[in-house]
Amino acid sequence: MGIKLLLENAHIEGIRYFDAYRKNGGYRSVEKALKMAPDEVVEEVKKSGLRGRGGAGFPTGMKWSFIAKPEGVPRHLVCNADESEPGTFKDRYLMEFLPHLLIEGLIVSSYALGSNVTYIYIRGEYAWIPDILEQAIEEARANGFLGKNILNTGFDCEIYVQRGAGAYICGEETALIESLEGKRGNPRIKPPFPAVKGAWDRPTVVNNVETLAAVVPIINMGGEEYAKIGVGRSTGTKLISACGNINKPGVYEIDMTISVEEFIYSDEWCGGIKNGKRLKACIPGGSSVPILPANLLLKTAKGEQRIMNYESLSDGGFATGTMMGSGGFIVLDEDQCVVKHTYTLARFYRHESCGQCSPCREGTGWMEKLLLRLDQGQGKMSDIDLLWDIQSKIEGNTICPLGDAAAWPVAAAIRHFRDEFEWHITNAAEAQTRNFGLAHYADPLPVPEPAVV
Amino acid sequence: MADEIKQEPPANFKVTIDNVTLEVPPGTTILQAARSIGGDVTPPAMCFYTPLKGSGGKCRTCLVEVSKGSEKDPRPMPKLVASCRTTVMDGMEVKSITSERVINARNSVVEFLLINHPLDCPVCDQAGECHLQDLSYEHGKAGTRYEFKRRNFKKHNLGKYIQLHMTRCILCYRCVFTADQLTNKRQHGVLDRGDHAEIATYIEKSLDNEFIGNVIDVCPVGALTDKTFRFKNRVWFTKPVDAHRDCPTCCGKVTLWERGNEVLRVTARKDQWGEILPTEDGKTGWICNECRFEKKDIKDWVIEGPMKVARHSVIGTNHYEVLDRPKETISEVMGGRAPKLLMDIHSISEVNDPSVDLSKIPGPATGAVFNGKKMIGEQKD
Repeated sequence: MGIKLLLENAHIEGIRYFDAYRKNGGYRSVEKALKMAPDEVVEEVKKSGLRGRGGAGFPTGMKWSFIAKPEGVPRHLVCNADESEPGTFKDRYLMEFLPHLLIEGLIVSSYALGSNVTYIYIRGEYAWIPDILEQAIEEARANGFLGKNILNTGFDCEIYVQRGAGAYICGEETALIESLEGKRGNPRIKPPFPAVKGAWDRPTVVNNVETLAAVVPIINMGGEEYAKIGVGRSTGTKLISACGNINKPGVYEIDMTISVEEFIYSDEWCGGIKNGKRLKACIPGGSSVPILPANLLLKTAKGEQRIMNYESLSDGGFATGTMMGSGGFIVLDEDQCVVKHTYTLARFYRHESCGQCSPCREGTGWMEKLLLRLDQGQGKMSDIDLLWDIQSKIEGNTICPLGDAAAWPVAAAIRHFRDEFEWHITNAAEAQTRNFGLAHYADPLPVPEPAVV
Repeated sequence: MADEIKQEPPANFKVTIDNVTLEVPPGTTILQAARSIGGDVTPPAMCFYTPLKGSGGKCRTCLVEVSKGSEKDPRPMPKLVASCRTTVMDGMEVKSITSERVINARNSVVEFLLINHPLDCPVCDQAGECHLQDLSYEHGKAGTRYEFKRRNFKKHNLGKYIQLHMTRCILCYRCVFTADQLTNKRQHGVLDRGDHAEIATYIEKSLDNEFIGNVIDVCPVGALTDKTFRFKNRVWFTKPVDAHRDCPTCCGKVTLWERGNEVLRVTARKDQWGEILPTEDGKTGWICNECRFEKKDIKDWVIEGPMKVARHSVIGTNHYEVLDRPKETISEVMGGRAPKLLMDIHSISEVNDPSVDLSKIPGPATGAVFNGKKMIGEQKD
């Protein structure tokens, strides 16, 4: 059993409520942090090496130190609970079962950043969770952890829950800020970055739910202790929401030292592929990261075992690697069709593109139409190259990362599964009746001959 | 822009765009700096509009490569940046047309913009002064790779003066910013998202603010058109003249688009980038609906003279910029001697033979046709 920091107490009955949470060591970090100076808290987080859990993996301590501190201008912390990435549901678990962990993390982080008004921006589809959070906020306030003069330290903090209206794009930090301000959720053009001009033109930090929850164990155990967990620059624990064709889907907390193979096949985690089928492909970090075939997923191109952490998953770049992303671990067995799967993702991104900048607005729609045609067996050979061309022209040319997120899955699918795409064209009629199957995607990687010295 | 630069104190930033170095005041965007150089170096801009705060960054046609960030931080920027929203730094080096990446990105953006745009310029009222038309002429391909149905919308009347045809819209948001910044209350906006987003009013409302006509001027394509001018004339047949009147609501400085003595259309005065020029007091010369739609009589206006038409699109070709007579070269070619006999080619050539009906010959006309011999088709028999 690995180390658990976030979900340690998740099994305790009534942990959702203040009394049980407090009895099990809750709000210790608030008591500890409020005795420190705000900069010391930031320093602890820096030492911990905590990286943003929302997808990009940017060091949180560094992000916090970028916040501008002009005189007389209030600062804000915004918790990004707009978890809309297909395959990712870790924040939902945290907020639903351990709301006080998030509130505790928010109080500590607000103190570190000097935010007296903190917001939780939650996606509209999580319709029942704002009630849970608001109840937790009320309980925390009743016990003196929120409101004016928290624990007699003179620090005031209010937390408000704001619901989104159901847009994936509002998970992008500047679009989230726009939406929070009550505007249309279009991403802003950076610079200026939110750390300088965010919500209502005030310095703002936007962090993922899991990132803010992870601040609690960091303060409790100290940044240096926290950094000892994990390997290299992947410190601490990470929540993985495993789904797809596995025996035990769910949210797991891993300490980033286990291998991908172990994670999929061990009974402690996913418990292997459902119905005794074989692994074909996997998207290890939520829908927008590149898909990998089984052989490249379990071993890197160098033949090393792939580990569930930021560095190992991205080993080999996009050519043979992928990304940790937000931890939405989607497993595909041998019966899944990669073309159909890619079409489904393209449809999602087309629907969720905000339509602000032209490459993403037009390109996602074009890719969806081409993929639908390929999936229905009416494609042409040239469509594959055209898709490749379109994705390469979207990537990097858009305002926000949604363009990249739409381009990467298509690029990776064509890069690794080109045979399957071609089969859908050459054997169009057959492709409508059966799947391409596992083919060679799980074959061992060719080992390069050692160079003669 | 150029005038402003001269007025600034000397702490200017040195910026190099396509190997042309110039000094601009801090806060200038790359696009503005490139425009002061002019020519091919200037990136096209479909959504950026200088008088509108917050516009730009959306269409991605103005992407440029920053090969050197600044003197202090010489690292190049990893991604192409939108030149309209990126301010220059001291010592910055920018590549516009000298970078293959930029050219590729620009071409692809044009392709993206055109996949859902109807290619029916001959029946579009904006043809001739359409920025997308110019852009596709310069960067577009002859054929399209898009094989699906294009996006299609019904035409909407936004009040009695403005017609909206969303099919042509490229979602530049300029009209939204105009309504935000010129009127007290915006009545239209972008509904929906992605490639099904549309500019619309909520439940078929009409736009009735007295400055709302300016959305027609800022629209880079033919999505918002003037109902008092629609299909009255092609823009290149009209004659633009600057004129003014005493208007209680606006600056009253306009361009009249005339045919003969008839005023067909009234617009604000625009510069070579299609942007509305500032008036003497430095404010943008937006005009009111009354000037734009109601004053279509030449007696309402004091004519100042012909508008300076820059070589933008086709409007200029008929007009003043090319007014210079072509140089008489015969005497130069002949070493200073005057020709003894100068004949009009039409009077001696049989090409003008009215007895030959060119529409009836099977192929292209040849000498044989005019020499009274058999036509090409007949020779085969």
